[in-house]
Amino acid sequence: MASVELSGLTRHYGKRVGVKNLSLQIADKEFVAIFGPAGAGKTTTLNLIAGIVTPENGNVRIADQDIGGLEPAERNVAMVFESYALYPQLTVYENMAFPLRSPKFKLPESEVHERVTHYAKVMKIDHLIDRPIQALSNGQRQRTALGRALVRKPNVFLMDEPLSHLDAKLRHSMRAELKEMRQQLGTTTIYVTHDYLEAMSLGDRIVILDGGSILQVGTPDEVYFRPASARVASLFGDPEINLVEGRVTADQAGGLTAELFGGAFRIPLLSVELSRALPRDGKSGARERRFTIGFRPADVTVEHRYGDDAAGTGAAGTVYSFEPLGTKCVVTMTAPDGARVRALVPGRKQFRPDEQIRFNIRSQDLIFFDAGTGDYITRSSPLMEDSIHG
Amino acid sequence: MNDTKTNGPKILEAIGRNGLLLCYALFALFPLLWMLILSFKPDSEMFGSPFVFHPTLDNFRAVLGQSDFLGALVHNLVISVLAVCLSLIVGVPAAYALARFQFKGREDIAFTFLSFRFAPEILVIIPLYLIYQKLGLIDSYTGLIWVYQLISLPLLIWILRGFFEDISPDIESAAQLDGYTWWQVFFKVLLPLIRPGLVAAALLCFIFCWNSFTFALQLGGGRTQTSTVAMMRFLASDTVHYGWVAAAALISALPEVILAILIQKHLVRGLSFGAVKG
Repeated sequence: MASVELSGLTRHYGKRVGVKNLSLQIADKEFVAIFGPAGAGKTTTLNLIAGIVTPENGNVRIADQDIGGLEPAERNVAMVFESYALYPQLTVYENMAFPLRSPKFKLPESEVHERVTHYAKVMKIDHLIDRPIQALSNGQRQRTALGRALVRKPNVFLMDEPLSHLDAKLRHSMRAELKEMRQQLGTTTIYVTHDYLEAMSLGDRIVILDGGSILQVGTPDEVYFRPASARVASLFGDPEINLVEGRVTADQAGGLTAELFGGAFRIPLLSVELSRALPRDGKSGARERRFTIGFRPADVTVEHRYGDDAAGTGAAGTVYSFEPLGTKCVVTMTAPDGARVRALVPGRKQFRPDEQIRFNIRSQDLIFFDAGTGDYITRSSPLMEDSIHG
Repeated sequence: MNDTKTNGPKILEAIGRNGLLLCYALFALFPLLWMLILSFKPDSEMFGSPFVFHPTLDNFRAVLGQSDFLGALVHNLVISVLAVCLSLIVGVPAAYALARFQFKGREDIAFTFLSFRFAPEILVIIPLYLIYQKLGLIDSYTGLIWVYQLISLPLLIWILRGFFEDISPDIESAAQLDGYTWWQVFFKVLLPLIRPGLVAAALLCFIFCWNSFTFALQLGGGRTQTSTVAMMRFLASDTVHYGWVAAAALISALPEVILAILIQKHLVRGLSFGAVKG
């Protein structure tokens, strides 16, 4: 149990960047999820902490101790590998006992037995204990790999996409189990994933990594509702967030209007912060600014359009594709200016490709990014927690 | 009626397949059978009818008793075993390095090792002879063991490299995190995983060394004469003892056959490369 501090870590693989000047503080007993696309440097970060690769620059401190010069065995960290990395020649029991029989973490055989059987029960693999690894399913292997990490009482747990090779159903149930387990364990954990749902549900904090650099560190809600940039917003969430070019104008009375899709869709807004983000000058009193505007597919509603109902609300569009997902469906539409808009629609609606529809965007859930840099500016309305905290 | 329709072609197919296999087995085993027959044939009946003769053990008696063939067998055994041991000591780390580490010219080095097997031995024997003469290595164990590395080392490296490549580097990292030093990881985790390959490769190396003729003939001598070279002395210009040669060949094939049977279990797994995926 210990805090982890990374400062200025840099590591290249040949010319390819692994991580670049990466700094991060993780508190004792905190569960941090590192999220990012493939090649973002997630595994490199774990390997740097574990000592499997050495940094070119920067250092790693665990429990306020610089461990840069220590061998992996000396760092007392336990890791669950994406490939599970079980020892194929050993049984489940022997795999789990392996760390406890090592020269470094040696325990009396009676205690080894006690711990292995205990954690085999926790991982629900106690009935498989004498099986060879080859005779296990992926899910069972994954549990064995977790078990092997748990039997030790390490300073830090490192988990490298432990659920990624499981089928969807097993992944969901394991996610729930992990969540329950992390409360019991109370050990500092760094969990790497490319699944935003895992990151959201497990992490105390989420670190968004891309191209070897940290884009944002925050609680799940912060990352989801106030992404630091348009890039973070697009990485996080599925279906992907809609990002469209738009502008916000203020009339003389101070009323704000967001114009999307080249003015085909207008939303009146009330936001002090947004108003502040508009440029002050303009002799006529009219103020406006261009933004990249983001809105989640779940905040879009879609309706059928019958006949020529020019009087309907929202923007007119045509259905581009339709994916039913049981209780929900994903509708991709073409907006009046040709932009593609994704909507996550509840219920069992049916849309045909090329069908004429109307769609609406919930005005309180727009996220405004700088049109040039993509940096977060503000939301169209504050979050619940914001209003509580003032 | 239906049965005959479906069974008819099946039976024919079975007969045809087994017939072909039988023909091939005869073709492949006939030289061995011929050698077996020759080894029991007295010299007087050597050129008589092929299969009708009075069996005798004289050939074996002559080979084992009168000549120093037994000594040559011992020479061969010592040289081959030590050559394989040296190959293991050098080849296992080399195979590991070629499988694991990214370094400049890795593939070139690996290919160079393999290329030792391309050239026929006869091609390099004269320069090698001259070098060995200068170094005083002619007719010495050291010299033969050294030159046999040309035969066994490339084989060993290339077989084991495949085995090391099949072991995920994650497994090594995992074992290191579990509290083991690199050497402990090597002996506790890696070695058991490559054992089938190690056994199969070592056996193949032994067979190739054991059967090597050219190097032993040119670079060996009285003190280090191997069984392959000793056999040739039965083919003198005045008297040619075909029976002795056959008996000697049978005897020197025995160690290989026995070894192969003893480690058959490993051999099957070892020769099907990449059988250790976890």
